[in-house]
Amino acid sequence: MPQYQQPPSWRLEGGGQILDLETAVKDGILGGGAGGCGLGSATCEKVDLKKMIEELEPVEDVPSVFICPISLEPMVDPVTLCTGQTYERFNILKWLSMGHLTCPTTMQELWDDAVTPNRTLHQLIHAWFSQRYLRFKKRSEDVQGRAAELLETLKKVKGQARVQALKELQKMAVDHSSVQKTVADYGGVALLTSLLGPFTSHAVGSEAIGILVNLSLDSEAKVNLMQPAKISLVVDMLNEGTIDTKINCTRLIEMLMGEKDFRSEIVSSLSLLAGLMRLAKDRRHPNGTWTGLSLLKTICSHERVRGLIVSVGAVSQLVELLPNLSPECLELALHILDDLSTIPEGRVALKDCPRTIPNAVRLLMRVSESCTQYALSILWAVCKLAPDECASLAVEAGLAAKLLLVIQSGCSPELKQRSAELLKLCSLNYTATLFISKCKLTRTIQ
Amino acid sequence: MPIQFSMGSFCSRQKPYNEADTEENEQDAEIERRIARETKAEQHIHKLLLLGAGESGKSTIFKQIKLLFQTGFDEAELRSYTSVIHANVYQTIKILYDGAKELAQNESDSSKYVVSLDNKDLGEKLSEIGSRLDYPYLTKEITNEIKTLWNDAAIQETYARGNILQVPDCAQYFMENLERLSEADYVPTKEDVLYARVRTTGVVEIQFSPVGESRKSGEVYRLYDVGGQRNERRKWIHLFEGVTAVIFCAAISEYDQMLFEDETKNRMMETKELFDWVLKQSCFENTSFMLFLNKFDIFEKKVQKVPLNICEWFRDYQPMASGKQEVEHAYEFVKKKFEELYFQSTKPERVDRVFKIYRTTALDQKLVKKTFKLVDETLRRRNLIEAGLL
Repeated sequence: MPQYQQPPSWRLEGGGQILDLETAVKDGILGGGAGGCGLGSATCEKVDLKKMIEELEPVEDVPSVFICPISLEPMVDPVTLCTGQTYERFNILKWLSMGHLTCPTTMQELWDDAVTPNRTLHQLIHAWFSQRYLRFKKRSEDVQGRAAELLETLKKVKGQARVQALKELQKMAVDHSSVQKTVADYGGVALLTSLLGPFTSHAVGSEAIGILVNLSLDSEAKVNLMQPAKISLVVDMLNEGTIDTKINCTRLIEMLMGEKDFRSEIVSSLSLLAGLMRLAKDRRHPNGTWTGLSLLKTICSHERVRGLIVSVGAVSQLVELLPNLSPECLELALHILDDLSTIPEGRVALKDCPRTIPNAVRLLMRVSESCTQYALSILWAVCKLAPDECASLAVEAGLAAKLLLVIQSGCSPELKQRSAELLKLCSLNYTATLFISKCKLTRTIQ
Repeated sequence: MPIQFSMGSFCSRQKPYNEADTEENEQDAEIERRIARETKAEQHIHKLLLLGAGESGKSTIFKQIKLLFQTGFDEAELRSYTSVIHANVYQTIKILYDGAKELAQNESDSSKYVVSLDNKDLGEKLSEIGSRLDYPYLTKEITNEIKTLWNDAAIQETYARGNILQVPDCAQYFMENLERLSEADYVPTKEDVLYARVRTTGVVEIQFSPVGESRKSGEVYRLYDVGGQRNERRKWIHLFEGVTAVIFCAAISEYDQMLFEDETKNRMMETKELFDWVLKQSCFENTSFMLFLNKFDIFEKKVQKVPLNICEWFRDYQPMASGKQEVEHAYEFVKKKFEELYFQSTKPERVDRVFKIYRTTALDQKLVKKTFKLVDETLRRRNLIEAGLL
């Protein structure tokens, strides 16, 4: 099949582009055969056109005359007003139904509210997108063919050749969603999984994971990946790889954790937990922070692993991290700390970390209701553990005023109740007057 | 190892400039340049230190590296192992015979350890030979005698109890190959050399470059093997400050065996303590640690017969299945224990140093090669990361 070339005549006015009519006619664009269903079945054309536009999205360099001035999208059913301006039918009808009797772009008053279908423009738009679509489909087939080829290659080669094949396949899988289907159809998942083992080099492993993480894995595939030797490899790569590798490994583990047969022993690895903390703390890569915290949160939901998380020093590291986190990350981090406060070692670690109380107090009523809820829960756990020590620290950090804010706010009743209880707990060591003075909003809190 | 030099002390004399001085200065400068060049060259050599308790497989790994990446053993070197191998044979049969006598005295079912009457004289004779400092060459006659004794039921029973005696791991291999070992023109094979057991004293080193795809990179490694027994480690360990990586060998099959130097101490516990001690040394603060969990082949077989929780460190082990799955489960358990130990013994600031665990069977050359390729990759990546290139 000959390569479909872009005709040099596709230059339209209105964007510094000129249409060469002769060539356009010659290529059969105007009223020719290549366009599609023909004039009569306008509905058929419309559906096709809509589908093509959707599949090609996002399209660059669409000629500006094809774009509806109201929605800034390519027009599927262009209609022209008496002023000569063309709009997408749906949009202009909506405009008119709102009571406006003017032309949106020229601001002229309309002397005639009729809308005329602009068949010429429609055909041009259809032809233009058809061309693009055909090219896209061809490239897609090429790409799918190449992907199948690469999978065959992977079955045979080793060493550097293997790494190169994987690299190419990964790039294609990221750029083309059709490749993902090809890989799945040709047994690519099983093949890639079989490449992972105790003697897999980092180069091969990181590429394979990069492909797997973008595919949808079925139950069997996930169970296969949960083998200890493979998980060990993933954890090692998480600890040693580039930021992209780290994120891929983290995402893969998170995918596996969704499986119903998942056992918490698989993530009960100190190396994994230490590696995730390192990822979360890396300020240079905020998306890494989020990914790492997200997995930690998921892991934390398994009670048995919480002790291990505390033992790698996660508590103080997370507490230190709090002031620098974005709101989404903050919620994750606080959720983790809250979960950890449910076990004795977690509570002790929280109490021993000097920044716990000031950071938690600071976060009350500052970011979101759930953050406030977690921060409050953490403060509660710490103050309950060592009321004498912590209550006064908390009050000095301005806890009382914050709690009053919570109570007076629109937060949930449980939250208010909790705040009241904590307020009571903290006030026990103070005289009434002294405590009230602590309740005043200081400038730092304001 | 870091070379510390202060050139300043050479040139600190204040003297008027005259010809003799100029020549001396020229020489000093030349020496200085040479030292600078050599120091620079040294820096590109990655130094690896093999550590581990006695009989953990360090020297076997050492020999494998020599076989894989150097010219291997030439005939002269192979021949030099003949006496060692013969010595191993005599030592083994002596340990077994003496062990049988001991068990016959102390065990409740003593009768099965009593060597048959016909073989008793043989046993006494071989035990006497084994206690000498100089061993006679293995003749056909002596070989037959050893074989006869080895096949004695009592000796076989004793061998099954090998863990409480000091029967070396090479016992079965050498006993099975006795005919070959006693040939008049016997030249040890590479495999024989790998099994041969000599207690390493002092330090041995080899320099090599891993062959294969990384040939172009010209990475040079120097591997040091240090004796494993308990003597004065703390006195010399600091000499290895600045090594790129420590390869720590732990024989996971010895969870039911006692030390050679101290028969009351369990070998696995000794390894645990040693690993802990090494991790805490300040000279290894930034050193990468490669933990080789060695002798997996023996572990595989043993774990199905001897429960792991016989060792104090593994007492919380709970068997899950049986067969191959059980072996994997047991291995993962041991691995986790070592991981736990690493994190317990490492200060939070130091947790970022590279720490990787490898399953090895030092006698399997292919496996050692694969394992070393991974070690090489890790160290090179680490290098690039530290140079900011990755």
